[in-house]
Amino acid sequence: MPAQPTTLLQGTLDLLILKSLATGELHGLGISRRIQQMTGNTFVVKPGSLFPALHRMEEEGWTSSFWGDSENNRRAKYYRLTKAGRKQLDTESKRWGRISWAIAQALEAS
Amino acid sequence: MPFLRKAAGFLRNVFLTRRVERDLDLEVRSHLQLLIDENLCAGMSPPEAQRRARMELGGAEQVKQQVREQRLGDSLHSWISDFRFGVRQIYKNPGFTLTVVLTLALSVGANTAIFSLVNALLLKSLPYPHPERMGTIYTRIVGSSAGSDQRHNVNGEQWELLRDNVPALVSAVSGVRTSGVNLKAGSHVEYVQDGRVSAHYFDVLALQPVLGRNFSEDEDRPHGPKALILSYDLWRNVFAADPGILGQTMLLRSEPHTVVGVLPQDSTTPLNADVYTPLQPSREDEGRGTNFRCIIRLRDGSAWQQADAEINRTWLSRSGRYELAGNPGAKVSYHSVPLQKGQTDLLRPQVLGLMVAAGLILLIACANLAGLTLVRMLRRTSEVATRLALGASSWQIQRQFWIENLLLALIGGAAGTGAGFLGLRSLLLLLPEHFLPVSGVPLDARVMTFTLVVSVLTSVLFGMLPALVARRVDLRSSMADRAVARAGSLRLRQTLLAGEVALTVVLLAGSGLLIRSLIHLETLPPGFNPNGLMAAKASLDDVRYHDPAAFRKLLDESTAAMQQIPGVLNAAVGLNLPYEFVGNDWVTLSDGKEAGQQGGADWLYVTPGYFETLQMPLLAGRVFTEADGPNSQHVAVVNQSFARKFYGGSNPVGRYIDKAILIVGEVADVPLSSGLDSIAPLQTEQTMYVPAAQVDDARIATGPLLALLHVWHQPDWIVRTAGPVEGLTGKMQRALAKADPNLPASGFYAMKDLQARTLATQRIEVALLGALAALALLLSAVGIFALIANMVAQRTREIGIRMALGSSLGQLMVHIGRAGVNASLFGVVLGLVLSAGALRVMSSVIYGVGVYDVRTILVVILAIFAVALLATIVPALKIARIDPARTLREE
Repeated sequence: MPAQPTTLLQGTLDLLILKSLATGELHGLGISRRIQQMTGNTFVVKPGSLFPALHRMEEEGWTSSFWGDSENNRRAKYYRLTKAGRKQLDTESKRWGRISWAIAQALEAS
Repeated sequence: MPFLRKAAGFLRNVFLTRRVERDLDLEVRSHLQLLIDENLCAGMSPPEAQRRARMELGGAEQVKQQVREQRLGDSLHSWISDFRFGVRQIYKNPGFTLTVVLTLALSVGANTAIFSLVNALLLKSLPYPHPERMGTIYTRIVGSSAGSDQRHNVNGEQWELLRDNVPALVSAVSGVRTSGVNLKAGSHVEYVQDGRVSAHYFDVLALQPVLGRNFSEDEDRPHGPKALILSYDLWRNVFAADPGILGQTMLLRSEPHTVVGVLPQDSTTPLNADVYTPLQPSREDEGRGTNFRCIIRLRDGSAWQQADAEINRTWLSRSGRYELAGNPGAKVSYHSVPLQKGQTDLLRPQVLGLMVAAGLILLIACANLAGLTLVRMLRRTSEVATRLALGASSWQIQRQFWIENLLLALIGGAAGTGAGFLGLRSLLLLLPEHFLPVSGVPLDARVMTFTLVVSVLTSVLFGMLPALVARRVDLRSSMADRAVARAGSLRLRQTLLAGEVALTVVLLAGSGLLIRSLIHLETLPPGFNPNGLMAAKASLDDVRYHDPAAFRKLLDESTAAMQQIPGVLNAAVGLNLPYEFVGNDWVTLSDGKEAGQQGGADWLYVTPGYFETLQMPLLAGRVFTEADGPNSQHVAVVNQSFARKFYGGSNPVGRYIDKAILIVGEVADVPLSSGLDSIAPLQTEQTMYVPAAQVDDARIATGPLLALLHVWHQPDWIVRTAGPVEGLTGKMQRALAKADPNLPASGFYAMKDLQARTLATQRIEVALLGALAALALLLSAVGIFALIANMVAQRTREIGIRMALGSSLGQLMVHIGRAGVNASLFGVVLGLVLSAGALRVMSSVIYGVGVYDVRTILVVILAIFAVALLATIVPALKIARIDPARTLREE
């Protein structure tokens, strides 16, 4: 595993999870693998971080969950974005854009 | 909406815990399965796939715990689970729980009962509107040897000045106490307590009659119309709540009185009488002396300072000021105090003393409980270590113990409230009627709050020590160092024990002194023969007996009739009996070198047979005879104290007092309840007896002396019988009825009853403090017992080794029991030191015994050691059942 897991900023994990769900519903492992894929293996989300975040986000009302069958017919809990979740993804993306621009500016300054 | 969703989530997490948990469990399992599938797809062997999957998951339980901590309502949840665990602990250790709850029930119960007294007497507002505007007047005397600041009764002059010259106040006076009189309505005769009150008495109390009106000023003038106000209870119980009662005429003291009002339901007055009549106070007769008790209410718009200034101005202007008699050079001033204080001042020290004693009980209980919980805590060291190892924080462990303590405290508090209720009920049964100047002692919200606070405080006190120890539990050393911790805890427990034994010594010594004092009072040399005497009281507060001739006729005929009762040896009448409260007056010596000397003396009339009936030893001269009639030489018999005080102990027979009265005899002293110079509740002091037949003008040239005497006192008919006393009271009543059919006896008493009535306060003090001291002793015994029993249990192995090495049972018991005995010994010494300081406050309530009474202290020490030995030996006997062979095999 080449991924040397970078410590995720609080809120970054939320953003990544929201983003992974933007294209459709996924179960926990699916979210984890999607994030890995989206970030080019930079971030590997361990279950110990993933599940608390998922449950917290569900309590916040950004996601909703249901039990469904996986591709190889296993029962799994699927998550999908709610309306509030899409809004949150939008807000978080903009905020992250600002932060990364600002950090890039700061690093380029001599 | 977000709020609602969160609330729903919170509720689901808290209340549907099981469903939420199952869902989480399934999710984590499914995640693991998906990981395994993924690994299998990647071509791993099944065991390898499983191993990798578990590694990536990183512990299913930890993941779940992380999710749980994330959840809404998680902290509440852990509280609940701690609570559940606590309940299980309490349930699983019934012996420990029972000991703790019983200890708490007794100690909290004692505190609840005593505090409800404090509450009723000192804290609760009087049951009148605006009690803060009500008061009474204290007289402050300074600058003389006998300085004082207390409620004085007032005389007629003071009353008139207060009524007329103090516009800041509504003032009223009443008789000092109620008088027992006969109320005759139609053919029904009822013996009732009559409260004599002035016109605005009910205005001061702000009581409006439910029927009719209060007394008018006209009715309150001397010789004014005779009016009557009934209490609600009398109206309902005797007159069936007859709404047409107003205007009816009833005979009271054989005089017609018109009913003008009925007091409201549940109303109370400081007198608590059955009926009220106008006092009609003046400067004459009764008003010559201080025979009125005043209550005041501040008028709207006035201030207390203004009222005090007005009272001082008018009362200091009087010409004859009795406060200065025998107090030359004293400075007198007056000030108003709240009625609450005025009414309860005499009981305040006793009640507060009891509260302190109850507080000590609580401390003793706390020491015991701390010892018990400490032991339990140490037994749970491995549990604590395990929890710490599993990652519990120190705070979580602490919280668990506090929750358990709090639970125990609340259970104990509830049990204590029950015990307190029962204790209070039995305490109130113990008190004579109208003993407390309040109508009831309720367990109200304040008492309940107090009990709750005390219970929680107790839990904090007895939980603190184990919790501190818990904090010191060290993960690494908890297994290895048990013996060290145990030695430390033994010293701690011994210290606790010594403390509680010390407090027990103080309580025991205090109640011991009270008991000695009561024994002293009860065994005062009686000066008469109390066996075979029976007394009947009847009210002569009756207009028919204001005439001395009618009075003499009644006494002659009734005593003659009682003499006829079979078995009766002697019969007589006296205004008072031994042990009773006796009136007093000033006497002036008329001859010899003492001529002109004055002093106070107790004074009562008796019929000629009085001294023989009581079998009072005659020391000199003679007693009265039938010849000492109204027209012969006025005579008196004095007692030994009289002779000692006024004649230096020489023979008083033949001397004259108050010019015309010849002393004809000297008799032995009898104990009585003094109003003259009250040092002890029962004492002997200078007393003079006069013949009942000479009362009309024997002492006071003017005024209806007979009428006044019988307002204040109910005379006693007394018989000495050789036979059984059964049925005697009925025969005495019939004999009385022969002389006057309208004269019911208000009560029958043996001499012991009279003594008990006078010593009621002392008996109650003894009963209460004695009960608290016994409780303290019991708690200390439990503490010692628990310590030794626990040591035997903990050191079974050591004892087994010692037995195997040849120690005898006796040696082992000494070895183990030493811990309890040493602690008790130290406690006794500490307790004696404490007592030396603390018991000095008791000097004012004990009589005939010093504060440092060697016999009391010896008995206390013996009692403590007997109990300590017993509490040590009984659990130590368990050593005999230890089988060394088996003990040694066990480990």
